Amino acid sequence: MALKNIEKQLNILDYALSSLWRRRAKSFSILLVFAAIIFLLASFQMVTQSLSDKAKQVLAYTPEITLQKMSAGRQEAIPLAYREQLAGIFGIRRVVPRIWGYYFDEVRLANYTVMGMELENMPEGARLDASLANGKMPGPEARGWVFVGHSIKEALNLDERYTFSLFRPDLTLKAFTVSGEFSRDTDILTNDLIVMNLADARDLYGIPAGLVTDFCVYVANPKEIDTIAKKISTALPSVRVLTRPQIQKTYQVVFGWRSGFGSICLLAALAAFVILAWDKASGLSPEERREIAILKVLGWETSDILATRFWESLIVSGLACILGMTAAYIHVVYFAASLFRPVLMGWSVLRPDLHLLPRMAAGDILLILAFTVIPYLAATVIPAWRSATVPADSALGG
Amino acid sequence: MLIELSGVSKIYNQGRANEVRALTNIDLVVEQGSMVCLKGPSGSGKSTLLAIIGCIFPPTSGRAAIADRQLARLPDRFLTLHRRETIGFIFQRFNVLPELTVLDNITLPLLPLGVPPKERKERAQQLMARFGISHRAEFPAGQISGGELQRVAIARALINNQPIILADEPTAHLDTVLSWEFMEIMQQLQAAGKTIVIASHDPLVFEHPAVERTVTIKDGRLHAS
Ligand SMILES: Nc1ncnc2c1ncn2[C@@H]1O[C@H](COP(=O)(O)OP(=O)(O)O)[C@@H](O)[C@H]1O
Ligand SMILES: [Mg+2]
Repeated sequence: MALKNIEKQLNILDYALSSLWRRRAKSFSILLVFAAIIFLLASFQMVTQSLSDKAKQVLAYTPEITLQKMSAGRQEAIPLAYREQLAGIFGIRRVVPRIWGYYFDEVRLANYTVMGMELENMPEGARLDASLANGKMPGPEARGWVFVGHSIKEALNLDERYTFSLFRPDLTLKAFTVSGEFSRDTDILTNDLIVMNLADARDLYGIPAGLVTDFCVYVANPKEIDTIAKKISTALPSVRVLTRPQIQKTYQVVFGWRSGFGSICLLAALAAFVILAWDKASGLSPEERREIAILKVLGWETSDILATRFWESLIVSGLACILGMTAAYIHVVYFAASLFRPVLMGWSVLRPDLHLLPRMAAGDILLILAFTVIPYLAATVIPAWRSATVPADSALGG
Repeated sequence: MLIELSGVSKIYNQGRANEVRALTNIDLVVEQGSMVCLKGPSGSGKSTLLAIIGCIFPPTSGRAAIADRQLARLPDRFLTLHRRETIGFIFQRFNVLPELTVLDNITLPLLPLGVPPKERKERAQQLMARFGISHRAEFPAGQISGGELQRVAIARALINNQPIILADEPTAHLDTVLSWEFMEIMQQLQAAGKTIVIASHDPLVFEHPAVERTVTIKDGRLHAS
């Protein structure tokens, strides 16, 4: 009996397949629309996921407190001597001076970010050399050694050679040797980055001894960030104090708005699709009524007819899922989610050559399925209950 | 006796404004292996009577026993199960699905029975060979001639080896030659032991020598003749 039931379901599946094939133009167009929706949802989900992963990374390397000197509302160099005033504040683990800035390469028309810092003074976990693909961070004595991100390597053609030069403000050249490259996992942070010794950065930008651009402050207990920030503000009134939670909030607001906006657009598209599917599936056409009446009089039960509908829908939505998800993966990995650039513009301006590693949790896949396959099944199978109202005797001659 | 109706009445849409009394107090017995013709003008109730014999719906009142099973008050599902074991239908326009191949049309009744594809094909091939339509097996049913279509319909009615064949105005859309051919095939089937009931007001049918008995229906009542 169980075996007969399996045979019966196989037969019905067989019939469903041949029905799809008979109406292949219609089946194919539904499949395409469906796959496109899943493609959009899945790409968006993947991009959102990997971007929020990236944001987390950025935050992980963001100092707990950043100090900048402000004058007339603009940032200016901060004296190294301020370090003494900070030393008295309890709870500060370390203060790392930093010189960083942008460098416009007029030959290649590219912008680089230069960062000079006492890397050896940074606490474990915040150290950028944790993310090196190869090589070693330049030590304090290693003058002229730098570490570069992926797009720098490409722009400066550092595949064959290890040395390059940048202009000082007085247009003399300063030579550098590449000692290592950042891993692409941290692209969002390191893609356009040249990391060097503090003294080299001072030399490159011509910043006088005793001045740096900002301080990175690391605290002993992360719960005390706010308290310590307040103490610093009091001790150094002319200094702007940025905390990691503040930066995190900014990210979240920008990012949350963008992904929220995207989700709403996608939900609207999805709703349109469901309405379309419903519209298509609702009224039974005269041909369908005739087919149902014939099948019934030939001994098909209403449940058998529903089963054919169910299989048809399941096949269409299953294929659509596979197609859509695969296309989404290719889109995100090989085309860097180029369709979403306009929506995610803020991020692409931030880091124009963003390399995304899509991440898709099983939960996300289930969510997408729940939002697409289930409404589609409902929209096609539920109206098929109408077939119960088609009397078998309508197949008989009037 | 394979078909036994006594006091059968059928009222469509009972109790509603569009109530139709289609059959009134029908008594009819059809012996196993006989061929009976139901004759009567259009609207007299022939199709309704065939539907009751064919286990499509039970009578509104009266008793109907088909192949030793009482039909009254059987739930729909059991009517369907009983129907597909017992009844082969041939319809006025043959009711094939035009986009399906001849082979697929013939095997349609076997799908819900869980008959595997290989066996389905074998059974259909036997019948197609018998009716000379093997060369049409893979043609869409919408593209074959009227004579071939009628054989497809007959083959489909026989595919599960049902003991009873019911035909509702089978010759209404056939010319004289094909109508004659149809009755020849019915005669062969009767000779092979099938019980056959044909509803028709075509003299070619009810005057055919193989028809043992003609029953006339008028306004839903039987007039034996
Ligand atoms: N499904 C139905 N609903 C309501 N009335 C019907 C239905 N089927 C048939 N009738 C009515 O029942 C009567 C008998 O019809 P039918 O059995 O089709 O006659 P015949 O086959 O002899 O032409 C007719 O008056 C017809 O209008
Ligand atoms: Mg009729």
